[in-house]
Amino acid sequence: MSTDTTERHLADEAARRAGAYNRSLIEASLDPLVTIAPDGKITDVNNATEKVTGRSRQQLMGTDFADYFTDPGKARAGYEQVFREGLVQDYELEIRRRDGHVTPVLYNASVYRDEAGDVIGVFAAARDISERKRAEEKIRKLNEELDERVRRHTAELEATNKDLEAFTYSVSHDLRGPLRHIDGFSKLLFEEYSADLPEEARRHLSRIRDGTRRMGMMVDDLLNLTRVGRKELSMQLTGLSSLLEEALGDLQPETAGREIEWRIGKLPFVECDPGLVKQVFANLLSNALKFTRLRERAVIEVGETTQDGRPVIFVRDNGVGFSMKYVDKLFGIFQRLHRPEDFEGAGIGLATVQRIVRKHGGRVWAEGELNKGATFYFTLEAVQSRPGESNSLPRGAA
Amino acid sequence: MIRQDVEILLVEDNPDDVELTLHALRQERLANRIEVARDGEEALDFLFCRGPYAQRSFDQPPRVVLLDLKLPRMDGMEVLREIKKDPRTKAIPVVILTASKEESDMVNGYHLGANGYVQKPVDFDDFRNLVKQLGLYWLVVNQPPPAVAFQAK
Repeated sequence: MSTDTTERHLADEAARRAGAYNRSLIEASLDPLVTIAPDGKITDVNNATEKVTGRSRQQLMGTDFADYFTDPGKARAGYEQVFREGLVQDYELEIRRRDGHVTPVLYNASVYRDEAGDVIGVFAAARDISERKRAEEKIRKLNEELDERVRRHTAELEATNKDLEAFTYSVSHDLRGPLRHIDGFSKLLFEEYSADLPEEARRHLSRIRDGTRRMGMMVDDLLNLTRVGRKELSMQLTGLSSLLEEALGDLQPETAGREIEWRIGKLPFVECDPGLVKQVFANLLSNALKFTRLRERAVIEVGETTQDGRPVIFVRDNGVGFSMKYVDKLFGIFQRLHRPEDFEGAGIGLATVQRIVRKHGGRVWAEGELNKGATFYFTLEAVQSRPGESNSLPRGAA
Repeated sequence: MIRQDVEILLVEDNPDDVELTLHALRQERLANRIEVARDGEEALDFLFCRGPYAQRSFDQPPRVVLLDLKLPRMDGMEVLREIKKDPRTKAIPVVILTASKEESDMVNGYHLGANGYVQKPVDFDDFRNLVKQLGLYWLVVNQPPPAVAFQAK
């Protein structure tokens, strides 16, 4: 044997080995691999391709690549793009197996060339994304279920709200009726037969009327509270100073004949429901007036301060105050910290304040000291700074 | 001839309310002739001169109708609608006098053409004062619609 022959033999052997090595790599791949000629015919496949198509190598070789997809047009457009541009990445297709089973895949493909550098085909590798698709589907289903559940709960809530509304209406109409009658007839009894009644009977009668009046107030306050809960906020940019003034005007009867020092600070413009926020001022000021009644000189202060960089409105008085021990009870419905003979009230005013402030996304809290006074603070989430200030917190358009 | 026209038609189903309202009106000596209808159908029979009121005439409408909303059988809103859609009765002033301060009731009432909306206060003194003002306004201050206002076009 000549050296030439030996060398060629050795080279052939090396090439054969390299080929076998490459082939086994290709066959070992779990990704379906395929090569495609410029006319779209399949020129090579691996094991994984046989599996995913349900066809043997012999059946696949020389057939149209595009024929094995749910959307042949898109498959054709895919390899045409590779021939045109050199490669495609993450090209989504669905392979249809012989038995109809569909596998979603992402194709990554590029051209390959001969020694002269001419393109002779496309090498395409598919990545099975069934798992991902299943997961996506699962998430979609879960989201749908969640949506459905939210819809159902919302519907239930709406139904409950409707029931509440009906209840409120019937309280309004039905409970006030009998109260009116008790008050009316006891008044008539008092007026027309007072002369015939012993002193004690007259006193009992006046107690009946007091009770009726109190209950009337409670019913009205409760109705107002539920009305606040149901009301849709109608927001507009409002100067709090003018709301405060309006509220003060309405309180004239309660301030008449009293010595009161008002310390009214500058208040900001805020995006809020003016009707409701006026109620906040009205309730807080009415409380301040009520609980300073025993002071020779009442001092009531209203102003703006900041906490953690946010504007906070406060109403402060030098009245009887309260013990911080009971601060948690302050805003509860029907919660009262004073005896009814000392200070009247149904215990709904601050609950209403809290409901209004919360509806605005804000917070209300209080500080107090027994016999020294009380301060109520509240924020309205949408508080805007005065024009000209830079550290505004715009929410919604001004 | 002494005019025997009804001045106020009170549409009210509750006997206690009827008595308190009549008491207040009489006390103020504002109304001599008050007719009470105990439900919506009775009110419409009266206003449309039919049934037991067939002998009445459309020429003598009440000066004002005080209308409760919650009535048996036909409710106050229905009554209001009937009154305001007929040319023979639409000019009659109707004031809703009710326990309700529901926004929807107020809106519906005004949309149907109510001439006023008044909430009955719990306090009898307030109520009496209110009835007095209502009587004063509708029977003394207000100019009633002229007769041609009740003719069908």
